[in-house]
Amino acid sequence: MSTMSTVSTELGILTRFEVLSACLLALLPCVGCGKTAESVPSKVSQVGTTEVTAVLEEVRGEFVNRANYDYAFVMKYKVKAVHRGSVEGDTIYVAHYNPQKARSSAADARVPDIGGNVTRFRPGDVHRIALEAPIDDYYMGGIINRYFDEYKGVIYWAVWTDDAQ
Amino acid sequence: MTRTRLPQLGLVLVLLLAICAVGLIQVVAETTGAATPQLLDLFRRTPTAAGLRAYETDLEQNSWCGNRIRVATQLAAFVTFRDLGAKALIGRDGWLFYRPGLEYVLEPCDGLAEAAAAIVAFRDALAERGIKLLVVPAPEKPSIYPERLGLFAQGLKKPMATHTTRLIETLRNNGVECTDLFSTFAGASGKPLYLVQDTHWAPGGMRLAAETVARRLAELGWVSPGQAVYDLKPVNLLRQGDIVEMVQNPAIAERFEPEPIVCEQVIDAEQTPYKDAAESPVLVLGDSFLRIYERDEPGAAGFVAHLARELRMPLASIINDGGGSTLVRQELYRKPELLKGKRVVVWEFAERDIRFGVEGWQRVPLPE
Repeated sequence: MSTMSTVSTELGILTRFEVLSACLLALLPCVGCGKTAESVPSKVSQVGTTEVTAVLEEVRGEFVNRANYDYAFVMKYKVKAVHRGSVEGDTIYVAHYNPQKARSSAADARVPDIGGNVTRFRPGDVHRIALEAPIDDYYMGGIINRYFDEYKGVIYWAVWTDDAQ
Repeated sequence: MTRTRLPQLGLVLVLLLAICAVGLIQVVAETTGAATPQLLDLFRRTPTAAGLRAYETDLEQNSWCGNRIRVATQLAAFVTFRDLGAKALIGRDGWLFYRPGLEYVLEPCDGLAEAAAAIVAFRDALAERGIKLLVVPAPEKPSIYPERLGLFAQGLKKPMATHTTRLIETLRNNGVECTDLFSTFAGASGKPLYLVQDTHWAPGGMRLAAETVARRLAELGWVSPGQAVYDLKPVNLLRQGDIVEMVQNPAIAERFEPEPIVCEQVIDAEQTPYKDAAESPVLVLGDSFLRIYERDEPGAAGFVAHLARELRMPLASIINDGGGSTLVRQELYRKPELLKGKRVVVWEFAERDIRFGVEGWQRVPLPE
């Protein structure tokens, strides 16, 4: 009888914990919802010659993870709106420098002028991007382009990348 | 009853805190840093195997606690055991080695056939346009200086270049011209040909490589010496080795003094540092072995400038850091103007790229 009571009490504690955990998890999506990326004017409208809002359609394969190796990684975007300049078609290929890093910390001595508030690149995300083209006029270094065999057109260089969800 | 449950509750709370602390700290760090908590990524879209793997990788790389603890544990391991972590190791007399370079030299290599096929295809494509190809695998430090790894490596036969020697033999059997820097370097005496804290060659090794390539081009009759006159200007500099930087720990890096280096900058008759010429009949392709001293400081003191001095003509070049296997040829594809009027292409790549080349050894067409 005594054993049964203890078990029942422990189950009670666990149940309350589970309920509390579920509530916390349910509340988590609200964290950060109040953030406004527009509180400070972004450089996205001040740099680059082209500015678009586009959906990140594909990140092909995994990023290269090598010590001390800096590179640009080409990603496929579907353009939703063109704010400045022009792009060819509604699918564009954009190279991001060291994409494993948050945009706010991706700039370095070799590539000093990039930035933005995007922290990670995930297919489906919507980005507002300031672009330059062609990439070779603006960036000198390794370019991982997994579309090389199927697309030979212009590769855009992402100067500034903000979240536009 | 209450008294007996308190210790249990305390233990449960401590355990919960231990389990949740890292995650809670991460959420707090992200929200105070104006970022959306990464945890929310789990709820944003349907979970897939690839998505969850990427999420896990992100978690590892962006962990606030992990990154801080890692710095401290790395430093402790270095101070206690002279351990530099997964990317580097310390040899004798302060010599540092890049672990993938050592793995390439010591472990089995399964990329030889792929590399040979890509190189032969590139040679054939160039030959169709009347352009000759000279391939130059750059030796890894442990290939040339295995004795610097430790006492256990004393007496090893030099150079330790089994895989690359096999590749060179395969290429030569297929009629591809290769420069063997391994025997040249192994037979050299005097100052070390490699930097102590770096993966790359020292100015002396780089210059020996340029002289060897120039001599081979002359022997083959592929290039006639030009009319340009270049001189040399000594430049002293201090360089923090790239192996030290790869450890990515400032507390460890500051324990290594930058290495003093004496470079020889190539200058023209007006005392101006060497500059490439896109219209040159010789195009040089390569990776960071060409970048060092050339585009890094002091500039115009690397392989391309010294090869130009030996050939007495300015050269065209494409230098793609870490991309000697495939990326440099993709860059050539994007720059068709650099292939116009070419008679010779010199293609350098670090030998470890035979196994570890970024994006492997793809077949890349020439620009139209």
